[in-house]
This record gives sequence, structure tokens and C-alpha cells, in this order.
Amino acid sequence: MKHAAPTRTLLALYTAMVAFVLIAPTVVVIPLSFTDKASLTFPPSGWSTRWYENFFNDPAWTAAFGNSLTVALIVTVVATAAGTAAAVGVSKWSRKRMAKAAQMFLLAPIVVPSIILAIGVYAIFLRLQLLGTLPGFVLAHSVLAVPFVLVSVSAALAGFDDRLTTAAASLGADRWTTFRRVMLPLILPGVVSGALFAFVTSFDEVVLSIFIKSPYLETLPVKMYASVTRDTDPTIAAAATMIMLLTTVIIAVGLLSMRRKKIA
Amino acid sequence: MYKTTNSRVKPTLGLAAAALSVLLLAGCGGAGAAPAAVDLGSGPAVAGTVKKDALKGVNLTFVSYGGLYQDGQTAAAVTPFGKESGARILADGPTEYSKIKAQVESSNVTWDVVDTGSYWAAGQCGTELQPLDYTIIDKSKVPAGLAGKCSVPAMQYANVFVYNKDKYKDAPTSWKDFFDTKKYPGKRAIDGTENIEGGIIEGALLADGVPKDKLYPLDLKRAFKKLDTIKDSLVYWTTGAQAQQMLESKEVDMAVVWSGRAFGAVKNGAPFEPVWNASVVVMDTLTVPKNAKNPKASMALINYYLGKEQQEKLTEETSYSPVNVEAKPKLDAVGKKFLITDPAVASKTMVCNFDWWGKNYTNVAEQWVAWVAK
Amino acid sequence: MSSTLSNAVRPDDGVDPTMRPGRLRPRRDAQAPARRGRLGPALLILPALALALGIFAYPLAESMWRSIADPQPGVQNYQWFAASAANWAVLGRTLWVAFLSAVICLALAYPYAYFMTISGPRLRTALIVIVLIPFWTSLMIRSFAWIILLQDTGLANQVLSWMGLGPFHLIRNTTGILIGMVQVLLPFMVLPLYSAMKNVDLRLVQAAASLGARPIVAFTRVFVPLAMPGVVSGSLLVFIQALGFYITPALLGSPSQMLISQYIYVQVNGQLQWGRGSVLGVLLLVATLLLLGLLALLMRKSRRAAGDEGGLL
Repeated sequence: MKHAAPTRTLLALYTAMVAFVLIAPTVVVIPLSFTDKASLTFPPSGWSTRWYENFFNDPAWTAAFGNSLTVALIVTVVATAAGTAAAVGVSKWSRKRMAKAAQMFLLAPIVVPSIILAIGVYAIFLRLQLLGTLPGFVLAHSVLAVPFVLVSVSAALAGFDDRLTTAAASLGADRWTTFRRVMLPLILPGVVSGALFAFVTSFDEVVLSIFIKSPYLETLPVKMYASVTRDTDPTIAAAATMIMLLTTVIIAVGLLSMRRKKIA
Repeated sequence: MYKTTNSRVKPTLGLAAAALSVLLLAGCGGAGAAPAAVDLGSGPAVAGTVKKDALKGVNLTFVSYGGLYQDGQTAAAVTPFGKESGARILADGPTEYSKIKAQVESSNVTWDVVDTGSYWAAGQCGTELQPLDYTIIDKSKVPAGLAGKCSVPAMQYANVFVYNKDKYKDAPTSWKDFFDTKKYPGKRAIDGTENIEGGIIEGALLADGVPKDKLYPLDLKRAFKKLDTIKDSLVYWTTGAQAQQMLESKEVDMAVVWSGRAFGAVKNGAPFEPVWNASVVVMDTLTVPKNAKNPKASMALINYYLGKEQQEKLTEETSYSPVNVEAKPKLDAVGKKFLITDPAVASKTMVCNFDWWGKNYTNVAEQWVAWVAK
Repeated sequence: MSSTLSNAVRPDDGVDPTMRPGRLRPRRDAQAPARRGRLGPALLILPALALALGIFAYPLAESMWRSIADPQPGVQNYQWFAASAANWAVLGRTLWVAFLSAVICLALAYPYAYFMTISGPRLRTALIVIVLIPFWTSLMIRSFAWIILLQDTGLANQVLSWMGLGPFHLIRNTTGILIGMVQVLLPFMVLPLYSAMKNVDLRLVQAAASLGARPIVAFTRVFVPLAMPGVVSGSLLVFIQALGFYITPALLGSPSQMLISQYIYVQVNGQLQWGRGSVLGVLLLVATLLLLGLLALLMRKSRRAAGDEGGLL
């Protein structure tokens, strides 16, 4: 559509402003992490790397970081396996209504406000003594991560021509072989992006984690939450900067590997 | 559920089973097992001491409210205790009563020594908290009347009324002035959490003309009505760190804050002055939850915490006042100004009625939350 | 919740699979393989199902149950809710804040999405990436960043004071909550808007213009109605999520501006009133599900209507 130049300029300016609102706030964290004072004043009056040193010298921070990584990696494996299996199951189940209902149910955890889920899970984990345990974190985060895998693998499966599996089966391949050799390579981009979602979902999770943590095990976002509410300590800015770096790298690697797969 | 498994889908399930077993194995590394017996040595307990290496291999979790306060507790008592006794001590916080209740109910108590509000401790003795063993804890140096069946004081402090001395030429001197927004316009910060304590309610009643000796039982209805008159000028802090920040950034002109946080702010250059005769003395307590995994070790930590040196150091670090009558903390001028056990201060402040608060805490907290949120 | 929900609409693959063109192709999977083992596919769903039953459905059901069973069986928790003015204030405030978030998001996102439709492919890709970046940024980091920017001595107030304004209290009040929430929820408005707008056949607008309609008239009478489904679904998405926000209001709001999720936290964690917290949870859940149902209904309708789009002129 054609627009008069002033309209277009106005629109562009407005868009730029919105884009600024979307991105700019996060960026202030980076310079703040190099401040020389123990205060959260911005802009910083001087520069240092002491908060990074503090991060790596403080066992509470490094342990939280390690826990987050461990939990997120296991969640990635568990949720990707369970979610991919479920997506394949849903798409192949002959009783379409049941399959649809199962899918809706599996997606439900991400639409229910997490505070409601959190108090429920908290009560149950207390009874089962799962609070502050690795299995507890993995189970809770997996419930939230499976839907993302399910959605992204389902999307990939929607473009999958099922005659291929029929053909493979008619040539004598068993189901596992068919899945591994025929289906998986074709839906791999969906599986990879699902795995990325699963990782980030777990790595970022706060609300449930606040409830299920214990002094023996807490994750990085929980530690950050405690830090924001209890201290005025720029170490959190250093932690935040490193998380941003890490997620950016993971996404970039994920996207690149997907692109390469597509080219090949 | 795996019984109906078709042999062809087995690899998937095998994977899932493998993942599960990895999880279960990993889970076992969580909380360490408690040792069977603890030998704390013979003879009467002496506050501030522990038998060398008596608690090797023991895990203890010390829980408090974070920030300057918990840092001070850690430096003054918790870390040295760990070094001397050999126990590995973890920190957690902030204290949340629901977590204590939930832990006790599920018999999965991960908190060993918990810093709590004194009212709550008074009301939960025997239900959520266990009686302290005064053969392990030496309370002879604790100020009279402050140690209870299930709790000893952790420190004393005040909910102190402070004002910005640069803003008000004519200094406010009483609760009446705190509630007088005409003579003293400006924002006032108060505690907005559900953990209400003695201070603002008493203040509202005193400002409304209730005589000091007729305060208790507190007339809540009257207090809330008085508070309604200044609600537009109130802002709420939810953590000590936030309270301190509000003073340092001069976001508010008056505030009722914990004396330790007021000290922290003033030390960092915030131009605030305390009004001691409009301040209420309260205390924190140290408690041991019922069914804690290693009560003897927990009480050994409490006994250590109450020592003269530990209390001096705690006060020097935090400015909260010591609970050992022999403690003579070395303080600078600012620190001394906020030491509520200092006679110059203690003669002006009012001590809240712990007994009344302990009995009515749930009710007051419920009404308080509703009032703040309305 | 926002951290998890903000993941809900992520890049390409996050699109609801049922909306994919692939769906239009006739399905063959109901035939040959299914005959061989009816239960095979269902078994594949089992692990995920077991997880969702054990860690989602069961805790949720127990939580709902507690609203009529804790501390004693009965409806006293519901009576408590109805009787206290503070409860209604919190509920009303939550709805109001969610409504405002949706309105502000719409005002910001509409021109943005529209600009995406009229810009070249490169700029458009850049604009999409910008929308998606917040999805990949931790919610904790963003909330923390807002605290830095919005505090009384923060950057926002410094800039305002250079312009001779302020200082304003931008944090620990509804303003702070709204700023934080809008930034988190903006992508949920931009994406549905854009996908609705890009499907509008711009020739229709040109046709209207060539028939003599002024540009503004052609835009409001032709384009706006056609893009309406995007507005509705975006607004509902934002509204629903805003209802259940916890982290942002907890960090940027104030106890006196408490929203329902914080109130749940206070009831359960501060007051040990599990039953009362559960009542609030039930209300929040019911509201969320009702609105989601409405959203699903509207989307189905608009999809059906999409077939005879041309008839609208």
C-alpha cells in the first residue's frame, strides 16, 4: 500500500520507539555488571570486573549456576524424549478425538498461571520429600517444557508425508528403524527447536522454582530473585550478563545447526 | 504400565527408564544423612563455646532474613561455629513460616536453626517449634525475661521512626507528627509485608490519643481508622534492603524501619534522624523447628551464638543490639546512635507487649494484609 | 508464570500445528499403520501423559480440593472471599491492570505490526527478531533491569529531569507493574496482529481508494475490520497472561497494589491459609480457562470466516 511520506516517517519513528522499549531495558544490565561500586546506580561511576570475580568466588552463585545447567540439560533430554514421543503418538493415533484431547491436556501446563501450579506442586513435593532435589526440579520443569517440544515437533510432523513410513514398513523395516531412519531426519528441525525451548524453559523458570528450592539445591533464577529482593549487590548483573551470553550462544548454535541441516 | 509394551516401541521406553534411573541416582546425592549421635563434651554449657570438631560431618542449615543482618550473624557466629565444631553450615532465607509449618508437617525438616519473629515463636512453641535444651544452651547472660521455652533472643532492635533532617526544619518529635501530613507533608514508608510487628499500630493509637499505659489490648479498629487518614501518603517496603534503599535515595521523607536498616542508610550518608520516643523495641528469636534432624547440633549453634564475643561482633557488624548482658561492642558514633540497649536510647523507647502480640498475631496479620491490599 | 508462558509463542515452530498448511492435506495416518497396532501410538503418549497427570493434574486438583477442605470441610473459604472488601479490591485491580496492559500493548503493537506489513523483507525480518529477543531473555533479568531503570534515582528519572520533568515514582506502584508487564507481553500482541494483517489483501484497500475513498477512510473501513481477528486474539492473549503474572508485580509493584497472584502467595506462604489461597487460585483458574475458551471459539470462527474473506467488501 502506498503511504504519504510523512505518514510513513511517523510510523517508522513509532516503530523504532516500540523496538527500543522491547530491547533497551535489558541492555542496561551489561554496563552495570562492570560497575565499581556496591550499588545499583546507573550509569556506573567507575569500572571494574570485581562482580564477575565475586560471582566465581561465591559458592552460592556458582552452585546455583551449576544446578541450573544440570537441571536444564536433564530436562532437555527428558522433555525432548517424552514430547517427541507424544507428538508422534498424537499424530499417529487413529482415534483423532482422543489424540486431540490428549494433546490439549499435555499443552495445559503452559496456560495455567504458574502460581497456582506452584502451590499444588509444593504441597505434593513436600509429602514426597522432593523439595530441593534434582529429580524434583527435573520433574517440575519437564511438565512445563514438554508442551513446547510437543508443539514444535507436531508442527514438523504436520509437514511429514506419512506414506514414507508406510513405504519403509512395506520394505520390512520395523517401527524403531522407520522412526530413526525415515521420520527422525525429516522432523529433526522441530525436535532441535523443541529441545532448545525445553532448555530455556527450565533455565529461566522462577515461580515454581521459588517454591520447590531448598538450601541444598536452588537454581540461578531463584538465587537472582533472592538477590533482587534482599541485597543491593551488582553480582546479579554479572550473572545476568553471562546468562544472556549463554542463551544467545545456544540459540545461535541451534539456529545455525538447523540451517545447515536444511541445506544438506 | 510397561507390561503391555509392544516389543517394537521398547527402545523408547528403555531410554525413558534409563533417564529415570539416572535421575533417581542423582537424587540420592541431595541432603546428607544425619549422624547417629553427637558428643558435645561434658560439664555445664558456656555460651560462646563448642567442643572442637564435635560436629564433623554434620550438616546444619541456618535460616534468617538476609542482607546486612544475616551477613553479620554469619560472620559473628555461624562461620566461626562451623570452623570450630567442624559442621558444614548452609544458609537459607528469608524465613517463611509456611515453610517451617510445611516442613514440620511433612517430617522433612531441612531448617535447623531459624531466626523468627518473637510473636510467632511464642505462639508456636510445641506445635511448630521444639523446646530448647537449656543444658546445652547457656542462657545465664541473656537479658532477663527474653529467653522462652522454645526461643532465645537473636538480637534486639526497634521499629524506629526516622525523618529526613534536610527536609524538615522543625523536627518531628512524636507519633502525632508522623500522622500529621499537614504540618509534615511528604511520603512515609512503612513495612508492607504480612509480617506485621509492634510499631505502626501502637503509633497510630498513640497519635490518636490513647495513653501509653492503656495501649494493650490494641484497639485495631481505631488504629486502622487512624491509618486510613494517611494512607495516601504511605509507601510500603517489603524487604529490609528496600527500606534502606528508600532512605538512601530519599524517596521518602519519613519512615518506620528496622533500626539496623536505618543505621545502614545513615552510615551510607542518608540524612535521616531517629525519633526514639516514637519507636518500639522488638526482637528476633532463634528457634529450632520440631523434628529438626539434629537438634543437639542446632542447640550447640544457638549456645555459641549467645556468647559475649559473638554478640559484640554481631552488633559491630549490624548495629542490632546484643542479647548478652556482658557484651561491650565497639561502635562508632553512628553505631552508638542506633544501639537501643544504650541507656540514652533505652530510656526513651517503648517495649512492645510480646505476650499480647504472641496471642493475637494471626488475627492482626490477617487484618493488616487486608488493610494494606484494599 | 510469565517466564513459562512467554515461551508460548516463540519463533516459527511455536505456531499452533493445527494452523499449519500441512493440515489441509488429507491425512493418511488413520489407515495402514493404525491397523497394525491400535494402541501403539497411544503408548507413545504415555510418558508425557504420566508426567502431566502426576505433576500437573494431580497437584492442581488437590489445590482446588483444598479450597473446600482446608482447614475444615465447607465453604468457609468462599465465604471469606465474598465477605472481605480487600479481596474484591484485589480482584478488581487485577482485572483492571490486565485490561490496561492489553490496551497499552495494542496501542504500541498495532502501528508496529502494520509497519511490518508495509516494510521490505529485510527490515521485516529485523523487526520480527526484535520482537522475539525478549522471549529469549530471562524474565528475572528483565525485571531486574526495570528496577535499575525505574527507581527514583534511575535512568528514566534522570532523563526526565534533563527534560525538566519529574521526578516520578515509576516503581512500586501500578505504573511500574504496567511498564514491566507491557514489555513482557508486547510480543504476544505483535505476533497475532502481524499474522492477521499480513493476510489482509491490500488490493481491497487499494480498490476502496480507487473508488474514491480517502486513505484514512479506506484504512478504517476496510483494513481495520479485516485485521480485527488479530486484535481480538492478541488482546485476549495479553489479558489472560496478565491475570496470572507473579514475578513482575512482585518485583515492580507494591503490597498496596497487590494483584491476585501475589495475594495467593501471601495467603499461602505468609498466612498459612492454604484454603484461602486455593479459593483465589480457583477464581484465577476459572477466569483463565473461560477466556481461553472464548479465544479458541473466536479463532475457530475467524478461521471459518477466512474462507469467504472477499465477501466482506
